[in-house]
Amino acid sequence: MAMADIYQNNYMSMAPTERRFEPYAFNGGNILAVAGEDFAIVASDTRLSQGFMIHSRDHPKAVQLSSSTVLAQSGFEGDITTLKKHVKIRIDMYEHNHGKKASTSAIASMISKMLYYKRFFPYYVYNIVAGLDDVGKGCVFSYDPVGSYEREQYRAAGAANELLQPLLDNQIGHKNMEGDFLPLSKEKALQLCIDCFISAAERDITTGDCVFLHVIDKDGIATKEFPLRRD
Amino acid sequence: MSIMSYNGGAAIAMKGKNCVAIASDLRFGIQAQTVGMDFEKVFPMSDRLYLGLTGLATDVQTVVQKLAFQLKLYELRENRPISPKTFLSVVSNVLYEKRFGPYFIEPVIAGLDPKTSEPFIASCDLIGCPMEPEDFVVTGTCAVQMYGMCEALWQPDMEPDQLFECVSQALLNSVDRDAGSGWGAVVHIVEADKVTTRRLKARMD
Amino acid sequence: MAGGAADCSFWERVLAKHCRVYELRNKERISVAAASKLLANMVYGYKGMGLSMGTMICGWDKRGPGLYYVDSDGQRLDGNMFAVGSGATYAYGVLDAGYSYDLPIERALALGQQAIYHATHRDAYSGGNVNLYHMKETGWEHIGWTDVLKLHYQYKNEKK
Repeated sequence: MAMADIYQNNYMSMAPTERRFEPYAFNGGNILAVAGEDFAIVASDTRLSQGFMIHSRDHPKAVQLSSSTVLAQSGFEGDITTLKKHVKIRIDMYEHNHGKKASTSAIASMISKMLYYKRFFPYYVYNIVAGLDDVGKGCVFSYDPVGSYEREQYRAAGAANELLQPLLDNQIGHKNMEGDFLPLSKEKALQLCIDCFISAAERDITTGDCVFLHVIDKDGIATKEFPLRRD
Repeated sequence: MSIMSYNGGAAIAMKGKNCVAIASDLRFGIQAQTVGMDFEKVFPMSDRLYLGLTGLATDVQTVVQKLAFQLKLYELRENRPISPKTFLSVVSNVLYEKRFGPYFIEPVIAGLDPKTSEPFIASCDLIGCPMEPEDFVVTGTCAVQMYGMCEALWQPDMEPDQLFECVSQALLNSVDRDAGSGWGAVVHIVEADKVTTRRLKARMD
Repeated sequence: MAGGAADCSFWERVLAKHCRVYELRNKERISVAAASKLLANMVYGYKGMGLSMGTMICGWDKRGPGLYYVDSDGQRLDGNMFAVGSGATYAYGVLDAGYSYDLPIERALALGQQAIYHATHRDAYSGGNVNLYHMKETGWEHIGWTDVLKLHYQYKNEKK
């Protein structure tokens, strides 16, 4: 390696030196949202990492956008910060221009457009928007980094999405099961979210420290915390 | 694309109370094209010993034949059935022989000890590094999904019926989130007095 | 539509906007030919930049039923049978075996559903549900949203 450096920096050398621009990093973490009949839950861990380095054990990945909407993000922290800043500004502008609160579906559609407008230099961010819709039902919107979005009942995103999504398919979507099922209760959904994160923290090195839960219902948004393994 | 995911496939083994389960999907594909839907990746090696192999299909067949051969030699020489632990060593050595040009397969082993009926599960990487955890082992293109499922569904001391449900749900929901595996599944529940083999109704897309 | 999910949904929305504006300006619905050309010209402007879409645009106008294929390279074709996406070859296999121009509607709908099912069966990257529409002179009608698991066992029983 040292020899290679010497040759690289030798002014006599005719070999071109390559400089690479690496605009993205991956800061790990995991996000999850579940919609119920009259509530929605957003869960996210609080670890911020890069490779094997843990930058922070107390870094929330979900943010409240309105009295009935929460946005959770995972991916590259630089893009997360920027996108979040712009989203908040756009929501403020909306409320000033229209004199009313931005609905969850309006925010969801706006974020899709903001992502697509950077189609050729994307935000490296996985977003999930959750909250209550116009008639008070729980809703979850999930995105890809360039703005394709869909309303769903549940979604896991981030580093451990592959571990958690099949579990949610099974436990909430009742996939590969037969029979009639009770509607999802808030208590069951909460416990499932916590169990998901315990499992994810077991196998994914970027998930851990603490899971933050936002419970959105007609009374507002309540937050809960649950400790995870810290190794 | 990695050679390990050229054909696709998944296998899983789990420990229960006085029993073990081993299961695989049935897909044989060539990248995105599904060619066969009857390609079992779990092979009975002896009375209470099963081997699951995923990875490159041609190597799956080669390795299973090579191991069956080694196993017969052992049984003739020793005049007794092989213990799962010894079989793991055989697998590990056969794979390490090809350290610098490996077979592109990852095996899982499940069985009961022929003498004590003690449940045994193990897995290897493609060059033979053995691992013997006390809960479950997974391999294949949807290994990550199976880790997620097993981590949440597995509990100690499951009865055979419970174990069957657990391993089936873990496998089915995992392969449904993976394009490379699925198209049917087969589950073996190994107990001291019997082995139960079942085909599962699965999504065919 | 098939290809990049965001590309498809975004440009479909932009196309819908253009069609609506056309309708307001001209007091008349846009033709299928014009609508498809609008999309082809829009994505042609981004040629080489990595957009990924394969689309089929069908509708009904003065000229009767219309069907166009438009992709992100800017290619635009008219025809009376297309399939797009990673499972398109499998779908064509089924369509070619059962297609004729004067197929009755019920048979055409069944053939379309069968083609998609077989594509989801053989192609690893296709699956889920089969969405079926009937494009009529009066507008489209949504025929069904069927899980392919159900179709699999339905077709299996019919074979027996």
